[in-house]
Amino acid sequence: MSPLLRAARAPGSGLARRLEEIVGSAHVREDAGALLTFSTDATPLERGDPDCVVFPATTEEVAEVLTVANERRIPVVPRGSGTNLSGGTVPHHGGIVLVLTRMNALKEVSSDDLVAVCEPGVRTIELAQAAAAERMLFPPDPGSQTTATLGGNVAECSGGLRALKYGITRDYVLGVEAVLATGEVVRTGGRLVKDVAGYDLSRLLCGSEGTLAVMTELTLRLLPAPEASGTGMAYFPDLADAARAVSRVLASGVLPVTLEFLDQVCIGTVEDYARIGLDTAAGALLIFGQDGDQRSIDADLARMAGACEAEGATQVRIAGSPAEASEVLEARRAALPSLSRLEPLTLLEDATVPRSRIAEMVEYIQEVARRHELKIGTFGHAGDGNLHPTVVLDPADAGAVRRAHVAFAEIFARAIDLGGTITGEHGVGMVKLKYMERQHGPEYLALLRRIKAAFDPNGILNPGKLGS
Amino acid sequence: MTSPPVGERRGIFTPELLDRCISCGFCLPACPTYGLTGEETSSPRGRINLMRAIETGQLAVDDPTVVEESSFCLGCRACEPVCPAGVQYGALLEEWRDELWRPERRPWRLRALLWAVDARARVRLMGVARRHAKGAGEGAEPASLMLGCFERALYPRVSRSARELDPSLAAPPAQGCCGALHAHNGELERGNALARELGEALPGTIVTTSGGCSAHLASVLGPERVKELSQWLAGRGSTVDEPATGARPRIGFQDSCHARNGLGVGKEPRELIATVGEYVELPSAAACCGAAGTYAILRPEDSARVLDRHLDEIADADLDVLAVANPGCYRQLQQGIKRRRLRTKVLHLAELLADADRIVSHRSA
Repeated sequence: MSPLLRAARAPGSGLARRLEEIVGSAHVREDAGALLTFSTDATPLERGDPDCVVFPATTEEVAEVLTVANERRIPVVPRGSGTNLSGGTVPHHGGIVLVLTRMNALKEVSSDDLVAVCEPGVRTIELAQAAAAERMLFPPDPGSQTTATLGGNVAECSGGLRALKYGITRDYVLGVEAVLATGEVVRTGGRLVKDVAGYDLSRLLCGSEGTLAVMTELTLRLLPAPEASGTGMAYFPDLADAARAVSRVLASGVLPVTLEFLDQVCIGTVEDYARIGLDTAAGALLIFGQDGDQRSIDADLARMAGACEAEGATQVRIAGSPAEASEVLEARRAALPSLSRLEPLTLLEDATVPRSRIAEMVEYIQEVARRHELKIGTFGHAGDGNLHPTVVLDPADAGAVRRAHVAFAEIFARAIDLGGTITGEHGVGMVKLKYMERQHGPEYLALLRRIKAAFDPNGILNPGKLGS
Repeated sequence: MTSPPVGERRGIFTPELLDRCISCGFCLPACPTYGLTGEETSSPRGRINLMRAIETGQLAVDDPTVVEESSFCLGCRACEPVCPAGVQYGALLEEWRDELWRPERRPWRLRALLWAVDARARVRLMGVARRHAKGAGEGAEPASLMLGCFERALYPRVSRSARELDPSLAAPPAQGCCGALHAHNGELERGNALARELGEALPGTIVTTSGGCSAHLASVLGPERVKELSQWLAGRGSTVDEPATGARPRIGFQDSCHARNGLGVGKEPRELIATVGEYVELPSAAACCGAAGTYAILRPEDSARVLDRHLDEIADADLDVLAVANPGCYRQLQQGIKRRRLRTKVLHLAELLADADRIVSHRSA
């Protein structure tokens, strides 16, 4: 390290000096460059300026940092790898960014109790691989699983591609150790499937977006790994045709592990990145999959292929090998970032509707795009009604940015009217806070505030977001 | 804003290159320096945010964190193949260093290196008294072997082996440096000019034994003109020496970052190695070894930290040979292995293939 940088990194403020006493001088940064890199996450257009960044290594250090921050009423924004898509880890009110990636011990993977115990900085893929090595499955698999941390996944209650069959992160959180804003350490739940001693605070913390407590240890449920899996693909003239095929698949008595779709815009950009031979002339692609024993996989894939053909699929194929299947699924995971090949700004939302209404919603999004003259690529988890309409545009075109925001307001309103939600898996964060009242009403929001106050009386944890 | 408003840019970076990143963070786990620090600031996404900040004037060009990160980055480009948005990070890094590493701000060790390879006569001088390959080609279609600058002095056997493998390659000694060192160290224009000079000096396809040089040459002269050795050999279906009889040697491979991440070369060397021994894929084979051009000379401590994991894996795998495809990796791994007193021998892929008849396993049972 250059002497110049050492000087820049040295704490100037009393706060940083106090934090250095807790975590060590190598683990506090307040140089302008570092602060800048922690001012954003993966959310476009959102930025906040932190005062310092702290990297604790233990629960005790987290507790001490929070005690100091609480005494001084300094905002604290917990952060993992920063793949948040709703501005949830952007420090809009400044203060301390509390980065938990040093707490990355995978403490236990138990096939006897079917649980894993880990610190919040373990990446999702690391747990999935460790579980797979012991022939177990950790089902939640968000698109960012190679980068994202489990702490972040639990805080945001992430979904993924397997949610239809296996549920989402909240269905796999058994226990949490967390530090309250006031510095006390609490443990909720544990290793048990059945445990009703008290309120289900683990579930409350799951999806709390860093506004209630800082999670420092997670006990997660695992499943025995399925014997095998299989994947198929069907092309359609239009996304609405694919959506109708989804309804037909689900009505046919199959509960698939995967049911993902991409419209033509997304097929083009994904193919441009992954080069796996997708048919870029097709209007939509539906990826369907099943896991379990080979006989039921074959039967279910055949039934799903039949449902697709009945809804006018132009081409249906079953992947010949696990490698081919994983190629397709990996490409699907890259759908969002691939869209930025079209324009530098990608505004993504995740409005979700009951799956019976998905074709309606898809057609409405297409209409909104036409009306506002926007380029919208839509992909998503078709089986669970979770759509990702993504506007691609040039950030310099202020008119288009404005129209995009109006378009999203309309899409959210329609999602709510159809019995859906403004966010299926990305979280409310900063971006969707203003739609909360429309979805939930004022009484619900008042209750959220009272819960928040019980956990965090001085409102230091991720202020300006849920419960504020 | 993730992207500054048009019209307020300083012009350090090409706008289309800088605007591509959408900050998804998919690059973080691929980055060796992020692996070392775990801090966003030393990740590709963090560095692109620093580039954006100097482009808009939010941070000064010589801000200490900015300066530090521009040099802490290995330039291995492992972030490129994992980037769904298609960010050309290597090109951004070249533009960054071009602005930052002005001659007056350049470390003296770097100045000396750049001076040494800047003129054809000096490069040629480096090869004097070393028996690197020489001679006219024998092929119907012209193809030339690039001798490299430091490689011809440090590892002259590499070019001889390459010509043994394919005698059709011409190897005129009057050829200079490809310019990669310049391009990666703040002299982008000069680096491109040297590549064009070399393109004029060498007829036909240019075959290189250095992954770093091949990627730079390909970026200037076009990928059709330039072939990394394993690409060339695989494309021609060349046969290698009959392997020695006896125990098959266990052979690992260290990818050249720029051959892999810049040109997509990875399968070819592995398939070639498998013809002469038992190929062992090390977990970090595709990750930077820390040589990274001038990095091992400019930042020896960080370079050694990056190398450590590779040495652990080589020791665990009990390799007979570790094959490399770049002179920088050659030096880095040879020195690391010597320091650890491991039994593994480092050979360039060309040497391995040309001497396959003499390489057997010495593994203790």
